[in-house]
Amino acid sequence: MTNETTPTAAQQAPHAAGHRHGPRMRWAKLAPEVYKAMIGLDAAAKKGLDPTLVELVNIRASQLNQCAFCLHMHTGDARKAGESEERLALLAAWEEATGFFTDRERAALALTEAITRLTDGFVPDAVYAQAAAAFEEAELAQLIALITTINAWNRFGVTTRLVPGQV
Amino acid sequence: MSHRMTFWSAVPAFYQAQLKLTMAAKKGLGDAVLAELVVLRASQLNKCAFCIDMHVTNLREAGVEARRIDLLPAWEEAGDLYSERERAALAFTEAVTVLTEGAVPDAVYERAAAQFDEGELAHLLGVIVAINNWNRVNVTVRQPPGAEL
Repeated sequence: MTNETTPTAAQQAPHAAGHRHGPRMRWAKLAPEVYKAMIGLDAAAKKGLDPTLVELVNIRASQLNQCAFCLHMHTGDARKAGESEERLALLAAWEEATGFFTDRERAALALTEAITRLTDGFVPDAVYAQAAAAFEEAELAQLIALITTINAWNRFGVTTRLVPGQV
Repeated sequence: MSHRMTFWSAVPAFYQAQLKLTMAAKKGLGDAVLAELVVLRASQLNKCAFCIDMHVTNLREAGVEARRIDLLPAWEEAGDLYSERERAALAFTEAVTVLTEGAVPDAVYERAAAQFDEGELAHLLGVIVAINNWNRVNVTVRQPPGAEL
């Protein structure tokens, strides 16, 4: 990923912005085998899934986990893949955005939220059943793998404080 | 509470990558007992029965004292049962695992950075991410404790 934007004032003078803003550590360099395994995990998770759905799931999980780096990357990827500004803007309120997301997307987003907020409770039967009705089993397994993988990237991104738009 | 899906054999490439991730992270951390304490604590937070069963068993088999296993959910209040290095790792584990409630605080990060060099810390993070992956999947598919993956 390239840095296409001009650094903001906060990036140029991080301490003036009131909090430190820069990566805490270069985890991929420090743990290259771990990074390599993450790349393998990511490729295996996405395989065969609709790219539009993949980006919706990646963005929604990154919103819940508040990963700025991941949001920057996946909203960019979604736009490049032709996603509409309206759907991107409404994704955070998808449940209330009648007519903007398909039943299949809504089932995947509900499952994404339940799996991402795991410490709040289990994945409810209704959420699982809705996903199982919209996706056949092999595809559902891929979807669960995808949601797990974006959660993994979010954990690395937030913990090491990756800067949006910078590698 | 029935098993919802046979997940891991349905996605063999994902399973292999997840095994590699777990092994690479644990190897780089280089402290098997610490890794087991960390993964048990994350599994408790994520309430993964399959994972708790596995890692309690691993800790017992590694000869870890029963009190150190039993008191792990209350490690902060457990006096000197855990070393400062373990306590820093456990605080870090909790912050990285409960991500939806906010970012990893500077104090938690710095406490861990004082106990682990950068390479160890990167791998500790890898261990925490890897167990969160196992937890997410095994809770979602309701993997029965003790069952084959």
